[in-house]
Amino acid sequence: MKWLELVTVAGATLIAAVTVVVLYSLGVRLTAIAGDRQVAAPVWVKYLSYICFGLCGVAVLFGLYLIIPYFSG
Amino acid sequence: MVALVIALALFFDFTNGFHDTANAMATPIATGAIKPKTAVALAAALNLVGAFLSTEVAKTVSGGIIREGSGGVQITPDIIFAGLMGAILWNMITWLKGLPSSSSHALFGGLIGAAIAGIGFHTVNLETLLQKVILPAVFAPVIAGLVAYVCTRIAYALTSRHDPETGSKLTQKRGGFRTGQIFTSSLVALAHGTNDAQKTMGIITLVLIAAGTQDPGSGPQLWVITACALAIAIGTYAGGWRIIRTMGAGLTEVKPAQGFAAESSTASAILASSHLGFALSTTQVASGSVIGSGMGRRGTTVRWGMVGRIALGWLFTLPAAGIVGALTALLVKTGVVGVVIAAVAGTAAVLYMFLVSRKSQVGHHNAVEVEEAGQAVRFAKKKALARARAAERARNNNPKGPQR
Repeated sequence: MKWLELVTVAGATLIAAVTVVVLYSLGVRLTAIAGDRQVAAPVWVKYLSYICFGLCGVAVLFGLYLIIPYFSG
Repeated sequence: MVALVIALALFFDFTNGFHDTANAMATPIATGAIKPKTAVALAAALNLVGAFLSTEVAKTVSGGIIREGSGGVQITPDIIFAGLMGAILWNMITWLKGLPSSSSHALFGGLIGAAIAGIGFHTVNLETLLQKVILPAVFAPVIAGLVAYVCTRIAYALTSRHDPETGSKLTQKRGGFRTGQIFTSSLVALAHGTNDAQKTMGIITLVLIAAGTQDPGSGPQLWVITACALAIAIGTYAGGWRIIRTMGAGLTEVKPAQGFAAESSTASAILASSHLGFALSTTQVASGSVIGSGMGRRGTTVRWGMVGRIALGWLFTLPAAGIVGALTALLVKTGVVGVVIAAVAGTAAVLYMFLVSRKSQVGHHNAVEVEEAGQAVRFAKKKALARARAAERARNNNPKGPQR
């Protein structure tokens, strides 16, 4: 039985999904902080949120790279 | 016979498409991230693209479950015809019931049944069956569910903000997850296109080779690829609204952050499984994710009754499609008359189910009632929130329509 494959798949799934979700959630949180009215948040928070979304996008693009055999061979 | 099988294969591709729209698009539709019609159009386009992107021939369709080749049996167009018949009928029945069930399992079931009835029991490789179908069916929802549970927890933990002094909630902008949902669900749709259209291409190529019109060992021809891509795209656009309703609203309520977590898990699970050699069914992964994310968000209930119905449906997929496949194989064995009877009976059954479905229409307009409560939360009006919650509860207590 391919138990090893099963564990690998489960692990990879967990890592990939958690990466994407953590990055995106951080982005969402930072956007929310940057949008606060009362406390003027530092400007870098906004850019940090963009970086988070950007990294998340990169993670998704990597997924695309994997599913399209033209790129990954 | 060859033409008949090709037509049937394309129709199977069509049912596969509309059966699986829900996997990618149910959660964004439920949270209002994408408008229903736009969502199915997007999914259809991505399925079309996906079918063209990955033109590796699907590994033998039966994947070793039926012993074939030297020392085994030759899969004939007759067997494939019978197997497809079983798969299509089961797909139609589960669609009518609004149950998400795996199209690949239906196909396996149909082929296995047809092979047993048409040739004999020795044709089935039980160990491969266990390894390729039954174990993944158990683990796919479990893995996806656990991952989605963890992800939902993380997403909510990371975005929950409280004022340190008053302890009241600050704006959380969780609506931002809606934008993310567009991308994650698109990824799922694309992955579906690269996987599922391949199955039909594999079948048609198999038939063409068996009929001697194509060299053995050659890949699918361009018209086959195009036809399959179009069939799955049209099927996806037709939208299995009943299944979308089940996945988007029947299992649990879906909020943007939760939907995002569920789709990320689905996409990762499908990609990981198709690249690390432990194939998981898209449908089962997606259903597991939705359930897991429902358990992960506080204040949500998972409707276990519906979960039980779906699990029951999965349990029956293989044997039910197998029985139809077997009966068709027996009919086909009797000769041309049998084939005609099988074809006519199959068409009649599909038509009948279509007519029954007309009685209680589920379309893009009423598949999922987009949760207005999400809007209320964003404006943080306690009264509106309470009112929305009450309405929601009332709605849950009086399920309308025959589907819930």
